[in-house]
This record gives sequence, C-alpha cells and structure tokens, in this order.
Amino acid sequence: MSAAAAAADTYSPAAEAGSKRRERREELRRHLAEDADWPRADGRSLHDCRPAFMQTGPTTAASGSAYAEFGKTKVIVSVFGPRESKKAMLYSDTGRLNCSVSYTTFATGIRGQGLENKEYSGMLHKALEGAVMLHTFPKTTVDVFALVLESGGSDLPIIISCASLALADAGIMMYDLVTSVSVSCLGKNVIIDPTSDEEAWQDGGLMVSYMPARKEITQLTLTGEWTDGKITNAVELCMDACSKLCEILRERLKDPASLASE
Amino acid sequence: LISGDLNLDSTLPSKLPPPPVFRSSAAPPPQGSPASRRARDDTMVGLSEGEKHFIRGGIAQDLRADGRRRLQFRALTVETGIIPQANGSARVRMGATEVIASVKAELGKPTILHPDKGKVSIYVDCSPTAAPMFEGRGSEELSAELSVGLQRCLLGGKSGAGAAIDLSSLIVVEGKACWDLYIDGLVVSSDGNLLDALAAAIKVALSDTGIPKVNVSLNNETDGEPEVDISDEEFLQFDTSGVPVIITLTKVGKHYIVDATSEEESQMSSAVSVSVNSHGQICGLTKRGGAGLDPSVIFDMISVAKNVSQRFYTLLESAFAAAEAVADE
Amino acid sequence: MGDLHLRLNQTQRVRLEAALHELQALAPAAAAVTFADNIPVNPEDTILKGHGTSDQDGEVVATVCGVVERVQNLVCVRTLRARYKPQKGDIIIGRVSEIASKRWRLETNFSQGAVLMLSSMNLPDGIQAEVCHIQHDGSLDLQPRSQKYGKLQRGQLLTVPAYLVKRRKQHFHHLEQYDADLILGCNGFVWVGEHAVVDEETNSNEDQHKLSMEVEAFTPLETRRHICRLANAVRVLSALGFTLTVELIIQTAEAGLSSDVEINNMLGAEFYVQTAEREAKRRADLSRRMNGPR
Repeated sequence: MSAAAAAADTYSPAAEAGSKRRERREELRRHLAEDADWPRADGRSLHDCRPAFMQTGPTTAASGSAYAEFGKTKVIVSVFGPRESKKAMLYSDTGRLNCSVSYTTFATGIRGQGLENKEYSGMLHKALEGAVMLHTFPKTTVDVFALVLESGGSDLPIIISCASLALADAGIMMYDLVTSVSVSCLGKNVIIDPTSDEEAWQDGGLMVSYMPARKEITQLTLTGEWTDGKITNAVELCMDACSKLCEILRERLKDPASLASE
Repeated sequence: LISGDLNLDSTLPSKLPPPPVFRSSAAPPPQGSPASRRARDDTMVGLSEGEKHFIRGGIAQDLRADGRRRLQFRALTVETGIIPQANGSARVRMGATEVIASVKAELGKPTILHPDKGKVSIYVDCSPTAAPMFEGRGSEELSAELSVGLQRCLLGGKSGAGAAIDLSSLIVVEGKACWDLYIDGLVVSSDGNLLDALAAAIKVALSDTGIPKVNVSLNNETDGEPEVDISDEEFLQFDTSGVPVIITLTKVGKHYIVDATSEEESQMSSAVSVSVNSHGQICGLTKRGGAGLDPSVIFDMISVAKNVSQRFYTLLESAFAAAEAVADE
Repeated sequence: MGDLHLRLNQTQRVRLEAALHELQALAPAAAAVTFADNIPVNPEDTILKGHGTSDQDGEVVATVCGVVERVQNLVCVRTLRARYKPQKGDIIIGRVSEIASKRWRLETNFSQGAVLMLSSMNLPDGIQAEVCHIQHDGSLDLQPRSQKYGKLQRGQLLTVPAYLVKRRKQHFHHLEQYDADLILGCNGFVWVGEHAVVDEETNSNEDQHKLSMEVEAFTPLETRRHICRLANAVRVLSALGFTLTVELIIQTAEAGLSSDVEINNMLGAEFYVQTAEREAKRRADLSRRMNGPR
C-alpha cells in the first residue's frame, strides 16, 4: 500500500481500477473507522499531520508569494497589490480582498476534476477577510490567486495557510496569521490532515481556520453528522494543530535570509 | 430600435448622470451577498448612523425593530405543490423573504464509484426579480454561496453518512438505474435569512415529493439493460424525518439573533449557520462574515442553535400542517 | 390584497372579507381604469389631457393603472403603485446615497436622485426636506427650511407606497405621550424615531462626537416599545392599503396596546383583521354622521 502503488493505479483502465481501488479503499476505511491503532496509508497515526514544507517568494512578479507542500498536495499562492480598485467597483472606504482559487488540469487523478471546487474562492476569502486589516488600504484591491499544482487532500486548509503566508510576504497589514487544518471523521475515529483517499470516504469533515495569537476562529465549516462533544474535540484538535503550523509559518517569515541561502 | 432609444434619451439632457440604482428598504440587498461586499452592505442599504444605532440598540435591549425578541422568528407561511411539473415543491415566506424550492426526479445511471447510490444535486438561483442587484453576475456569488451552504448541510459526508436524503433509497437497479434528484431553490424576494428559508423550503418540498413507483424487468435480450416501467399512478413518499433545518445565528454586538432581516444583517459582525436534524445532531455548519470568533462563542452559538431549532421544527410543522389543510379544502 | 400573506383561519378570512367589502361599499365610486381603458368625456367640452392619458382616435384613453381625476377641464389618471411623483412644497424623507463636494444626492423613491445643497446641512444621514424646486430635467432640488428639518437620528425608516401619504399641513408630529417623532414623508418614507430635541446650537462636529459618545446609551426601552408599536401600526395599515394619518396610526398602536397584543403579534393575522374591521366601522360611522343631518 505504498505511495507508488497508489500512483500506478491512476494509470490503469478506469473501470477495473475503479473497482479494485474501491475495494482497497473500503478496506482502508474499515480499518480506519474501527481500529484506532491502524496506521494510515502513509504510515501516520490518526493525529499526525503530514510534514509541512513552506517557502516564501516562488514567484518574482508578485508582491508576495508562497509555496506549500504537504505530502502530495502542492499549492502556490501569489498576492498582487494593493492596487487601485477598478472603477466599476462601488466606492468604499475599506480595501477589497479578491480571492481566486484554481486547479491545474493535471492536479487531480481524473483530468479537470479540480474544477468542481468552485466554492473554494469564496471560502478562502471568508477565512482571510477577518485577518486582513482592510481599512489600511482604502479604495484599493489586494488580489490573492491560489493555484493547486497537485491535489492530495486537505487542499483548502493548505491554500488558506499558504495564502496567509503570501499575504505576510507581500507586507499586507494583518491582525494575525491565519492557519487552517481539517479533520475527517471515519466511523468513530477522527483523523487529522486527511489525504484525498481518506477524504473520499469520510463520514464527515470539519475545517477550522484560526488566528492563534488572537485565539479567534475566522472560518469553520462542517459536514456530516456530529454530536456536540465530537465537534468540541475536533475543533480543539484543529486549533492545536493550527497553532503549531503557525509556528512553522513564523519561523519561515523570521528567517528568510537563511531560506534564500539554502 | 436605435432611433427609439435615442428618442427616449433626447427628452433628458445628455449630461444627466445615470439615475442611481434604486435601493430603499423595500428592495434591500441580498442577505448573503458575498462577504467582500457585506462589510459595506450598510452603504448599500443606505442606513444612516441613527438607524444603525437604533438597530444595534434594539438587539442589545432584546426588542427588535418589528417588535421581535432576539430568538424569535418572523411569521412563517408555507405552501406546497405550487409547481405541478415538479415531483414536489414548496414556497416558504418568512416576513418579506420568499423562496421556492422544487424537487424533480429523473431516471439516471449511478456513477461507477457509487453503484449503489442515487444522486442529488442542489442548486440555488437568485432571480433578478427579487432585487436589481441580482441581475447578471451580481447573483452568481450569492447563488454559489447558498448552493454550497445547502449542499454542505444536506448531503452529509462524502461516504454518505449523515446525509439528509438516504442516497441508497434512490437506487432502482444497482449499477444500472437510479433516481437523480434535482433540488432547485429560487429566491423570489429577499429580506434576509435566505439560507434558513431555503432549507425550510427544501424540507417541505421533499415531504411533498412523490417518486413514481417503477417496475423493473431484467431482460436478457436487451443486453442486461433493465427495462424500467414508470408508474403514473403510484408514488412513493419520501422519508424526510432526517432532513435538517438550518438555523443562522447572526451576531450583532455581543448578542445573536435568529431570522435577521437584511437591515439587521448589514449590522452583523459574523454569522454561523448550523443545520440541526430532528435528533438534535449537528449535520453541517458554515460561518459567514469577516470577524473572527472566540472558540467558546462558537460552541455557545451551536448550542443556542440546537435549542432554537426545536422551536423552528414546531413552527415549520404547524405551518406545513396549515398548508396541507388548505390544500385539502 | 396581494401584499398580505397571512395564515388566516376560516373565520378570520370571512371577517376580513366582510370588512373589506364594507370599506369598498363606503368608498366613493372612483373610476378606476387600466391601460387603454376609455375615459368617458363629453366631446363638446374642451378637454385638457393630463398625466396618464393619451389620445387615441379622438378618444381619451388611460396609459397607466389608476383612478381618474377631473379638475375642471383637466382629466388625469393618478397612479397607485408608481414611484413617487414630486410636487413643489412636498415634505419628503430621503437617504443620502452619494456625497459630492457641495451637494448630497438623496434616494427619495423618485426615479431620479434629489439634490440637497450642502450649505445648510450637517451630517450625511436620513434627511427630511422640502422639495423647493423641480429642475426642468426632472431632478429635484431640496431645501431644508428650518432647523426642524434635518438629520433624523434614532429610529426606523419605513417605506410605504407613496399614495398612502397625502399632502397635509403637518407632516412632522411629535407624539409627546410616546416621546417619539413620527414623520410622514410625501414620498412614502415614514420615519418613526426617538424624539429629537431641536437644538439651534448643534454643529456637525459636536453632533458626531455626541453620537460616538452615546454608543452605549441606547434608546430607553419604554420609548423603543412605543416606536416599535407605531412602526408596526404603519406596517399593518400600509399592507391593508389605508391612507396613513397620524390619528389612524396612533389609534392602531393604541388598539394594540389596550388589547394587550404583543408588539410582534401586531403583524399577525388576527390584528390585521381587527384593524380592517375597526377602520370599516370608523368609516361607516363617519359617513353616517355626514349623511345624518341630511
């Protein structure tokens, strides 16, 4: 059940591979749902996140940019602006945050499947708008463009964290960094930072965007059936992971020189 | 045609600025207009400082502009069976907010990944008849936001757990034929709280839905393709006990209110929409609005929403019963 | 009655229908016309065709839905559901929609914005003013005539069809018993709010300062109750299509208060029916009294 095997699968004829993959996933799901000690496909335990690799400044043309790689998920975010808002926009004394998330056609196993995630642009906006000090750049627009190079699960939370790093890199005034982590619910277990395989079989999902220093949640979405206690636990788990992820972001920002010399 | 237009124009001096877009409290902006614009919604509604202050004060004092308390709903009316071509339909009015939901069932083919499940798609449209800013692209963002919000609350997890509609009940022949449910919402008139109204309309429309009974004969001659005979007379009712309602708590100042009007929504700092099923379990949640929330506030909002939802269930049920009574008359 | 979406039970429906029927019987037989309806005129008179009429094959036909009005030789049709049509001297309420360097543009329910010169005003807010001049291009010039006109502070602005507000001597009412202000704008905007003390001294800076200072000092609850009651009375009456007068609004609000109807329930079915019945009775009494001496 190595990563290589999973990759090979995507090249097999769809119909047969589909059923084979389904069987394999069913087995995985069964184990994950019932057995807390069962390691996940990539060898993590239930509450282990994938190692986070983040970097600022991959694109030179942008005011700020960031690249994030969590396992197979690879995301690049560029921030442009603040620049003057288009005339067509209504006058306003606060700035505008314009977010857009797109997928490369090769980001998903089946070509062009990423197009289904149309709502991500709006969700990215909602996660960030509470953190960006919009009143510091009136009449202007900040564009945040995110591109998912490869979709490997937990795409949206990674986009959000990466976008907040890119905003910081662009020198946009923010109350705090926003980091985001999602969990999947499989049977009675809650697993953090799910991969796309795990997401495809989840009974429910929960995503938290969090400003660790201010201890404020900027976005919370939830699907599937949950009890109160389970929500509380999952949110706390996410918040804890967000704080740790934020530390990684902070280190990256504090020490860009060492990064450049790497 | 062009000359006609010119004639019209010539009655006015050409220097005249374009007439301002009509925005009065009678045609307020959409409730869920994209968050980017919500921060400035107050300029769109055009509320004056004094009015804003009055609204905030009313919420703080537990007496809102129309005399409601914070956790009180507007009058709710329901009509069923308003679209004869659909398998089920409903109209829900909450104050000046009016939405329509229709459910259509069509025979389709299950996907390879889920051969034992039917498909449900939810789509919301904001008609420009509701408000001028719904015209063209103006409604797209709002429509998408509402659609996603409803999908999140009604469709459950990817595995199908916690879904409002049991997808496996839609299967006709495994792997060959299933029902595709098309749930369409339409915003007819908008005065806040669209998501809750739409969810209520969908719940009622599903209770109103009859799926035709089908007789399946497996025929070897037709290459294993099942022959499906749709009955015109016999219909199967839907089990809608699992369909949740959505309660949106709008936070204004330190307090939360339910069923906010668009004027009240313009004053919100953030809003949390929670969908609660009849067992009191949470099956979907979205946060809107820019300001961050303390985690404990969110947990409190969830429990408030849960309590309020029981009242809303009763309200909806009595409205539904009244609608059925009217239909029977 | 298209605006009313109420859940009436059988008795309520019958009562409402009876009340409305009675009202209809009492109303003077107004000639209601719709598009292309022929308006009967005496062909020998010289007729001035006013607003809402047109000439077709020598006959006068209506171009809008409404009520035919005749003043001497002038025949015109007054529309009911159209936007506000301003007349000189109307007292109106507007919302500032745009601020330019020397003037404000106001949303007044008219097809064009109204312009208020800045020379006399203080703050961008809800504004009441008098139409002092209609420019030939159709845009409005407004003039706040005295300190009494000006910014509206705390309260709510309701929108009703403009025809429900008739032009009168007095549009500005201070209801002392409620400590509230009620302003019926000719454009169909109705203001119900906390009574504002007219202070000759106030200037904009102080005002703004005051407002920010008072953020926590909300309208007293008792006053707010009265305001909400009045506002709901206006909502009920306009939904029933009754012309709004101060007396009627107070009467309706008081009726709610005396029969212990909760403020919110004033928008409920029972109160609608009661209001319709009360108004039918009042008008019946009125016509009886007027016909009495004869």
